Amino acid sequence: MVPLENYLALSAVMFSLGVYGVLARRNAVLILMSVELMLNAVNLNFVAFAAYLDPGQIVGAIFAVFIITVAAAEVGLALAIVIRLFRNRATANVDEAATMKW
Amino acid sequence: MGAEQAWVLAAIPAGVFLVLALFGRALPRGGDYLGIAAIASSFVLFFVVLADFLDTPGKIGPVVNDIEWSSIGETFTLRMGIFIDPITIVMFGVITTVALMVNIFSLGYMKGEPRYFWFYAVLQLFAASMLLLVMADNLLLLYISWELVGVCSFLLIGFYWEKRSATEAAKKAFVTTRIGDVGLLIGIILLWKEGGTFNIQELIHLAEEGHFSQPYLFTALAFIFLGCMGKSAQVPFHVWLPDAMEGPTPVSALIHAATMVVAGVYLTARLLPMFEVADGMLLVVTIVGLVTALLTGFIALAQTDIKKVLAYSTVGQLGFMFVALGAGEPSVAMFHLMTHAFFKALLFLGAGSVIIGTHHNQEMDRLGGLWKKMPITGTTFLIGSLALAGLPPLAGFWSKDEIFVALEHKWGAWAVILLGISAVTTAFYTTRLFIRTFMGRPADPHVYEHTRETPPVMTGPLVFLAVLAATSGFVVFHNVGKALGFPGGITEFIFLPHHGPHEYELKWGFAAASVAMAVTGIFTAGWMYWGNDLRRSTALANWQPRLYDMLRRKFYFDELYQGMIDRGVLGVSYIVSWFDRYVVNDTGVDGSAQITGFTGGVLKYIQTGRVPNYAMAVAVGVIGLALAGLAVRG
Repeated sequence: MVPLENYLALSAVMFSLGVYGVLARRNAVLILMSVELMLNAVNLNFVAFAAYLDPGQIVGAIFAVFIITVAAAEVGLALAIVIRLFRNRATANVDEAATMKW
Repeated sequence: MGAEQAWVLAAIPAGVFLVLALFGRALPRGGDYLGIAAIASSFVLFFVVLADFLDTPGKIGPVVNDIEWSSIGETFTLRMGIFIDPITIVMFGVITTVALMVNIFSLGYMKGEPRYFWFYAVLQLFAASMLLLVMADNLLLLYISWELVGVCSFLLIGFYWEKRSATEAAKKAFVTTRIGDVGLLIGIILLWKEGGTFNIQELIHLAEEGHFSQPYLFTALAFIFLGCMGKSAQVPFHVWLPDAMEGPTPVSALIHAATMVVAGVYLTARLLPMFEVADGMLLVVTIVGLVTALLTGFIALAQTDIKKVLAYSTVGQLGFMFVALGAGEPSVAMFHLMTHAFFKALLFLGAGSVIIGTHHNQEMDRLGGLWKKMPITGTTFLIGSLALAGLPPLAGFWSKDEIFVALEHKWGAWAVILLGISAVTTAFYTTRLFIRTFMGRPADPHVYEHTRETPPVMTGPLVFLAVLAATSGFVVFHNVGKALGFPGGITEFIFLPHHGPHEYELKWGFAAASVAMAVTGIFTAGWMYWGNDLRRSTALANWQPRLYDMLRRKFYFDELYQGMIDRGVLGVSYIVSWFDRYVVNDTGVDGSAQITGFTGGVLKYIQTGRVPNYAMAVAVGVIGLALAGLAVRG
């Protein structure tokens, strides 16, 4: 059996990559993909802990299912916003959408 | 209905007040019949209560009926209720009788006045509050009704609010009595703090047991007495009462002569057992009464407005009542309160009748010889005047005589002599008032010609009150009280528990001296003013112009207070307003707003509108928190 630490390490790497993507990328679609990466890192954590610490129950797996659902809704909403942005500015670069300031 | 349900007496006028205040404008005749019906039913129910009270088997004791009003936890319970004892019964009689007469009289006096319904509404509110005041069994309820009668007084003094002088007088009355009322409230709180109860009887009991230390009790009672002085217009708070004459004359008769102004006397009489325990408090009461009686007796000598003379006379007679209380005799004070209420209400209503009969003239300089034109008003006014002067067998003689006896017994001859001077001046100014209004040569033939006797609705109450002013003094006698169903005369009805009832006996020496004082005053005034001839009095005024000016201008009390307000109050107000404008407003209010605005102006540049910046801030924050957590855990 693969030890728990491996799952956690993979999850940490995925999460860090996600954070890097969110901070470094300027394209809105890529930022969204990075966010998905972070969410899936969390999912992996949940499922791994559920399998190792609490084999009889499926509470962690249920959380993962919920997160997938919410993430789907979030992506649907966010992509709609990106499309509106693209229609208005002819670009998906988030630095261009900077009018909401002082 | 028994004495336990005496609260109904106050509830009826209170209900009618609500009806009149809300719908009075729409009712025919302003709903005055409702007001009179309310007072009349209270008047009738008074006799029911009286009969029940006197029928209580065995010795006459107080009737108590109270309910739990509110409680906080286990420690504090507030009970509200009524307490009926002989003092309350006397007050009930005075209030309902005079209020009924004044309500009837007002039908004629206030006819055609604007806001007629409102006048009757406030009269009902006043009657309800005053009745509540005298039956309250605790100081809190008493204080509430105390303020209620105060506000009625304010509303009625300022009834003609189109007149600037009326609004000024109302304000003056309110503010002046307010100074005393603050003292009353402080006193009540002091007694409650140490005694743990508002109930008057329990407080008296505690005081008699020595629960309060002497200086503490003296301080608390001194504060309470301050409230009594304000309400009963004793020197130095007397200045509001003469100005209160701006109100309609029936109001002056009811509120500013017979009932509200005696609330202070009532409260002192009610708490007299405590006053006796506190060393020196009775002397304070006596001195305040004596000074007031003396000063106002002299001021009244030089006034020319009928109502002003009567107002100063009222203040002086209230001083007499306080003197009686200072002598430790609540029965005598209540006796004088009752007789005074009847004859002074009569005199004020008589003055009102003169005002209506002469088409609004109340300056003596324009009156004179009215007796021929107004026989009923003149005759009843004469009876009231002689009762006030203290001529036997009219009511004023008996009560005033009793005050002298009690005073001599308690404080000795010096006090009697001082009060005697006041009694002489009383007889003097009363006679002067009567002669210059009703006798001799008319000062203004035009006014005289147009004078008519007032209608029966006004003369009726005059006659009724004249009968009372003539006869109510006889209740001092044992047999008269007995025949009326009381345990005996007034001294056997009202008494302090540890003194016990005692039968009245006429002291011939005092009676003779008392008659001599009245006769001296009457004859001096008669000699000086006979035939409404002012030559002698003018000569006297010219002989001592400064003294005359001092009396005319009321010992400069108003000027003194005005000066104090101009220098003291306005000076302090200037500092306070400076502090408010520059420190509170500019630094405090505007300053904090400016700080907020400045901070916002600087911090707004953080909001760049770029999403990656926010994301970076979140990431840095989370990492920073994580590192901080690690550092703390070690």
